[in-house]
Amino acid sequence: MSSSEAKAERKIPFADVFRVYGSLGAFTRYNLIVIWVAIAFAFWFLNPIKALPLPQEVWDALTKMWVTPGRDGMVYNIYVTLQLNVVGLLYSALISLIIAYLSIIPLFQPFNKMVQWLRYIPIVGFNLVFFSLFAIGWPMKVAMLTTGMSFFLVTSMTGVISAIPRMKYELARVLGYNDLQVFYSVIVRPTLPQMIDMIAQNAAIGWVMITAIETFNRTEGGIGAQIYAYNSTNNLAAVYAYLFIIGIIAVAEDGLFSLMKRVFFPYSLIAERA
Amino acid sequence: MSEQEQNSQEPDHESLLVLEEVCKNFPMNDGTTFVALKNLDLKIVDIPDRPQIVSLLGPSGSGKTTALRIIAGLDKPTKGSVMITNGIAGEMRSVEVGDVGVVFQKYPLFEDLNVLNNLVVPAVRVGMDSQEANKKALGYLEEFDLTKQKSAWPVQLSGGQRQRVAILQQLMRDRHFIILDEPFSGLDPVNIINVMNLINRIAHQHTLNTFLVITHDVTSALMISDHVYLLGRERDAEGNPIPGSRVMKEYDMIAEGLAYRADIEDLPRFAEIRKEIKMVEFPKL
Repeated sequence: MSSSEAKAERKIPFADVFRVYGSLGAFTRYNLIVIWVAIAFAFWFLNPIKALPLPQEVWDALTKMWVTPGRDGMVYNIYVTLQLNVVGLLYSALISLIIAYLSIIPLFQPFNKMVQWLRYIPIVGFNLVFFSLFAIGWPMKVAMLTTGMSFFLVTSMTGVISAIPRMKYELARVLGYNDLQVFYSVIVRPTLPQMIDMIAQNAAIGWVMITAIETFNRTEGGIGAQIYAYNSTNNLAAVYAYLFIIGIIAVAEDGLFSLMKRVFFPYSLIAERA
Repeated sequence: MSEQEQNSQEPDHESLLVLEEVCKNFPMNDGTTFVALKNLDLKIVDIPDRPQIVSLLGPSGSGKTTALRIIAGLDKPTKGSVMITNGIAGEMRSVEVGDVGVVFQKYPLFEDLNVLNNLVVPAVRVGMDSQEANKKALGYLEEFDLTKQKSAWPVQLSGGQRQRVAILQQLMRDRHFIILDEPFSGLDPVNIINVMNLINRIAHQHTLNTFLVITHDVTSALMISDHVYLLGRERDAEGNPIPGSRVMKEYDMIAEGLAYRADIEDLPRFAEIRKEIKMVEFPKL
């Protein structure tokens, strides 16, 4: 290809949009997001799958449930589920971090592996265990969510720790660090930004689990219990209104995790860009 | 009493590092044993009033990295001993990890610490006063043109800047023995000269400083070193390599009149030695 032909090709508008790792300006990138959202909404409005309720129906259900007070209202149920989500996420993050960090000690490696294998078992398979250990309601829901999410978090977090280059340990050793200093400086501190990524990724799994867990423990309500109830009465508009809310909360959670990385670990974002 | 006067009272040719009959074997998956090093003897002696820059030169697979790891205390030899001095005449002891600084090939740093803290934090962690460490680090950064980068993250540094920070990090602890693993690897000729100048400059900060350069770059090793040791394997009658590397030949660049010469590349003897290593010695190793 001659240089003039190459120049002509470069002038094609939005050509980079179709190139592998094409370089885009901020304006084009935001426009791409708008286009994809518009396509999704157009698909929804045109409604080729008749099972989907129309956007207007979902909106009507959402506004109605939003203003409904008390246990049947959307605000109450979002609060119940969000509380469970945050508490479950915090507990599972803490427990998983401990189990993952302990994987560097040979004594705990088989235990770590066992926890990782348990992620293949549906959490409802442990219902009887939870029934016998925790009271039905809030404690049981927290325990189920924490345990279920921990199976996945331990797997991802252990992966992060195993990927630390051996040279990093050796750098600390030749600098005279003792075991505890190596643990903190090489394993804990540098992996915290990746741990936030892992928690963010597993927060999505948490939402899938929450709806299942709240279906089994409906006494206190929550989004899962509401979805179950509206599905039973074939009120799909209400179901989709809750799914829409879950989507918004998920986007907000992603944003929060991203902000945490930006504030507490700015170097990790520079490294990602590099 | 000045440092130089102190050094002049110490006996000449004091041993700084002694490897005696060092062997290193690795068990293989098929049940056999791979002999990486066999009876490796190496002695680095103090050169009065000068730092030591010694090269361990060998082709790929000649056991350089294994030797580095043993000298640094990262691995234990299967047999033999590695003794190091702590700077006091006659006081030799077995090397422990942390006694010897190592500048690894890819210059790993603590990515979650900025440049200044990459120097200060490791020094403080092993007992240095934080104010003293800060002062020393700022002095180093100024001396080696890194003041502007003191708040930068390692990921923002160029290769050369990263190398300088990695070397200075090792120097913060007042250790005089530093191993540099392949410092010239992947560099263009101009940058090789820059790195040689940097090593010389840092080495000359203290007469007890001893830099062991692990490299396969013949020209650079000869240009920078006062002693060059060729590491490799012997061959049997059929020309097959006998397992286990050791020092096959030593070039005393001081005795050859080649050390500390700015014009070393113009000297016929330099060209002869370089040709001998490249054409005769290396193919045998």
